[in-house]
Amino acid sequence: MSWSMVMEHLFMVLLAVLFTIALGVPLGVCAYCFKPLRRVVLWSVEILQTIPAMALLGIIMVFLGAGKATVVIGLLLYALMPVVQNTCLGLTEVDPGVREVARGMGMMRFYRLLHVEMPIAIPYIFTGIRIAVVISVGVAVFATFVGGGGIGRAIYQAIRVHDVPTIISSTFTLMLMAIGLDTVMALAEKRLYSRFSPAEK
Amino acid sequence: MIRFEHVSKSYGGTLVLDDLSFEIAPGQLAVLIGPSGCGKTTTLKTINRLIETDKGDIYVNGRSIARLNKVELRCSIGYVIQQIGLFPHMTVEQNICVVPKLLKYSKERCQKITHEMLELVKMPYEEYAHKYPNQLSGGQQQRIGVLRALAASPPIVLMDEPFGALDPMTRLVLQEEVRRLQQKLNKTIVFVTHDMDEALTMADTVIFMEKGRIVQMASPDEMLRNPASDLICSFMGKRSLNNQHLPQTVADIMRDKVVTVTKDHGVRASVELMSRKNIDTLILTNADGSYAGVVSVDRIKRSGKGYKTVEPLMNRGYPFSYEDEDGQVAFDKLIDGGVNYVVVLRRDRTVAGIVTKTSMARSMAEAVWGNGE
Repeated sequence: MSWSMVMEHLFMVLLAVLFTIALGVPLGVCAYCFKPLRRVVLWSVEILQTIPAMALLGIIMVFLGAGKATVVIGLLLYALMPVVQNTCLGLTEVDPGVREVARGMGMMRFYRLLHVEMPIAIPYIFTGIRIAVVISVGVAVFATFVGGGGIGRAIYQAIRVHDVPTIISSTFTLMLMAIGLDTVMALAEKRLYSRFSPAEK
Repeated sequence: MIRFEHVSKSYGGTLVLDDLSFEIAPGQLAVLIGPSGCGKTTTLKTINRLIETDKGDIYVNGRSIARLNKVELRCSIGYVIQQIGLFPHMTVEQNICVVPKLLKYSKERCQKITHEMLELVKMPYEEYAHKYPNQLSGGQQQRIGVLRALAASPPIVLMDEPFGALDPMTRLVLQEEVRRLQQKLNKTIVFVTHDMDEALTMADTVIFMEKGRIVQMASPDEMLRNPASDLICSFMGKRSLNNQHLPQTVADIMRDKVVTVTKDHGVRASVELMSRKNIDTLILTNADGSYAGVVSVDRIKRSGKGYKTVEPLMNRGYPFSYEDEDGQVAFDKLIDGGVNYVVVLRRDRTVAGIVTKTSMARSMAEAVWGNGE
């Protein structure tokens, strides 16, 4: 395992998560705004989640060939569910009183979404992103089978030559990466929540 | 100011508003009241078009609201609801300036408005403007809710049970405050409540609704004098009915304006005080404020000569009761003791008041006839 592998891994994860946000949040908003669409969208991302990660990457590889693009798209699809679900949930959870006042004071739909509902849903959305990051760190291990590299390659090679210390150190690095990212994001999340959760005085 | 002309609205075959016609004059505080499902909230929400009517017209300032732009209409009508609905991600200042911002006022103007608004309810700008709603008490939150509705100086404010979720004390204070603001700023307010007390204390006009129709529209006085239906009677009577079943404590029935002096008060000064206050007994306390006994003017007259202070003349065995005891206890002592009153003490033995035969009579009268004004 080399430093470049770690960076490669991290790069794939972060790139995938960026795309997940770019696709997942708008999808979540659509699911919230258009009720008939909601079930279809939520159900679809859930289905994606049930496909085994290896198989998903394999299928994409058939169309796009081996390489980083395949990995990033695979990760993106795989991490979509928490982001879409939490976006939609966060928006539906907005206090009906808040929504009614916003309407009664003359905010039209889009203004309301942008200035009231989205800001209130942000902590939820952030939680979804955090879950997506952790999922991606783990799933990105399979990148090596579709030519993506990363820490997965180190583990795969080590398994073939029974290099137990490398397997352990790679796994440890992965865990550290997941825990590290998760902790940082959890801290940020806590700050987001504490700013306006009505629970505390 | 606000005129309904034959307004109807139905939901899936049930008529919620049945050919409503009425008018609210400028500067009036009109209260819509009635049993749940009578259509009072629906009526309110048709005014800012949160609910669209099926038939009829509503005029605000002589203009039919159906022809006005919704955003303009709503920006010119303040809106306050029971759930308060402050935006949790915005500071007090940002909350107050929501409508000014919608109307594209300048930053300076918004800040000036916030200053003025907070001034109205005596909440210092420096202390509150940058707080988030979750840092305020319920009463403070609803104050901001009211200010937010007033910020763009709308001539009309709609309030949907605004104080329903507040504790009784805060509620009274806010009722008072809204009434004061309404008069000071000369707003037309439409106020929904199901609490007759609130309606009677706040309203210029009470509109009593039942099954989507107006049963009576009158001033509070008129409604108390000539309620138009049995239902209105029972609405007003509810208060006394409730009280009847409330256990009354001594504190509820006592008179709290009593004259006390320390027991080392001079005899002459005591007599003088009693004649000035037109009473025949004084309650005496120890130096630390705790109850010591009573002294009557008769006793002083009979054997007061030669004493400097009233202490030796004091009756220590006079009946007393504690303010948190059941009213019945005080009454029993009053009757069994054959005295004119019973002294009421707090648990720390300071004097809280007295229960007289008059208090007893009043309390019994209330139990029988209710405490209507």
